[in-house]
Amino acid sequence: MLMEKLKVLHVDFAGCEGCNVSIIRAYPKLMNEIDLDISYLRDGSCQYGEYDVALITGGACMNEPRILEELKEIREKARVVVAFGSCASLGGILRFARGGQEPRPDHRNFQPINSVIPVDYSIPGCPPTPQMLQSFFKFFMAGNESRLRLFKVTAGLKKLSGFDLIDDIVLTGLCIGCGACELSCPTGAIRLVEKRPTIIQERCIRCGTCYIRCPRASQLICLGGEKP
Amino acid sequence: MMPIGENLLGQFRGVYLARAKDEEILKRKVASGGAVTALLCYALDKGLVDGVVTSKRVKGFEGKAVVARNREELLEAAGNSWSIVPFAARIKAKIEEEDLRAVAIVCLPCQAQFFGQMRDFPILETDFGNRIKYIISLFCMGTFAFEAFLNYLRVRYGVRAEDIKDIRLGREFLEVHHDDTVLAIPLKEAYSYLQTGCLVCTDYAGLWSDISAGFVESEPGWTVLITRNVRGEELVKGAEKEDYIELRDGVHVLGDVLKRAREKVARAQRNMAQLF
Repeated sequence: MLMEKLKVLHVDFAGCEGCNVSIIRAYPKLMNEIDLDISYLRDGSCQYGEYDVALITGGACMNEPRILEELKEIREKARVVVAFGSCASLGGILRFARGGQEPRPDHRNFQPINSVIPVDYSIPGCPPTPQMLQSFFKFFMAGNESRLRLFKVTAGLKKLSGFDLIDDIVLTGLCIGCGACELSCPTGAIRLVEKRPTIIQERCIRCGTCYIRCPRASQLICLGGEKP
Repeated sequence: MMPIGENLLGQFRGVYLARAKDEEILKRKVASGGAVTALLCYALDKGLVDGVVTSKRVKGFEGKAVVARNREELLEAAGNSWSIVPFAARIKAKIEEEDLRAVAIVCLPCQAQFFGQMRDFPILETDFGNRIKYIISLFCMGTFAFEAFLNYLRVRYGVRAEDIKDIRLGREFLEVHHDDTVLAIPLKEAYSYLQTGCLVCTDYAGLWSDISAGFVESEPGWTVLITRNVRGEELVKGAEKEDYIELRDGVHVLGDVLKRAREKVARAQRNMAQLF
């Protein structure tokens, strides 16, 4: 029996295009399973009225009522909303926007999209790789919720960063010194000193990758569904 | 809260009792049947992997990440290392330095979780999950906060860290071999010196691995192998077919493994209630 393709909508808010490029790179291997409605591949408005999945990239600018309305419309159109990338999931580097910067962004307050609408899955990463999206759809279509649990619980969190990792795991003595965080930081903000992580705070872009890659932290959030 | 029952042993395909057929491997293994070493020898000999990354004890509780590319190097690294090695970053460096294309990793459940997540969900372009062919996780009740434990050994028993030659896990005692003497410390006493992070860990068997391995007291001399997917199953069956290991059905020991897994979850729940 021929399975019907998933209708997937992509919408970008205030992103740097890194996540969008990742989605475009992932698409060739997903074409048989999903029908991607992305602004680069069409003229004008959305192709369909309803979608199985909406992929949202970039953070929500809270100073722009238009954007908040658009987010709510997407929520109504889509059965499942996925925040793709750190800005959409956890605020990411957009948290540092202060207004008046050149060239963009020039608004003051960016939040992850779960500050505005309920999100089903959050996939952090700056940007997440194309393979990450392919994996997500593989497990999603197989209904493998246990593998996707980490991204489900992350959808309920509004911030995760190197600072949270230090506070929640290292300073509480829960760190086991495995070095996963050091390896996972895309900006080299985390270094192991005396077998424990320290943070170079100017380098942390609040992408949350270290936190969800830390075996102890990810196990704890998966168990309780919230931060310790 | 996730139902704890689902979290105890995870999904698995087969449960076996295995023992290495090679006499030399068996001779080096005190606690278990040496099946993990034999499986890795098989994977190296048949070219299924071009390296095995594991930790090797250098002195006392200290361990370091090493790559074994052949049987001799593998046998040299065999044995427990008793401390968490900053594995992740070192492994990446090792894989790149030695240009390994397919590796097997022997690790603890927490490390298996990290590598398993990296393989299933490569978030970073620099991830190397596609080079990790087999993840073998060892049953684990925790690792020592070894600074504190060594301090305790020195203060309580007058044993200096540099004199420790070997540490072995007995039925009820932890045997610390130092100079020509063996100091037997009751496990209950030693457990007070586990890392705090291990005290809230709920994963005994390594749910993110391809194969979980360990031993149960009721079957001395045999390694329990739990295969979790096709690739794990194929490795075990292949090693049996090629005469590297002998295999028995192990379903009857599942209760023993579950018991330890339950103990670990209960311990984590108690500690979480105190810590948070």
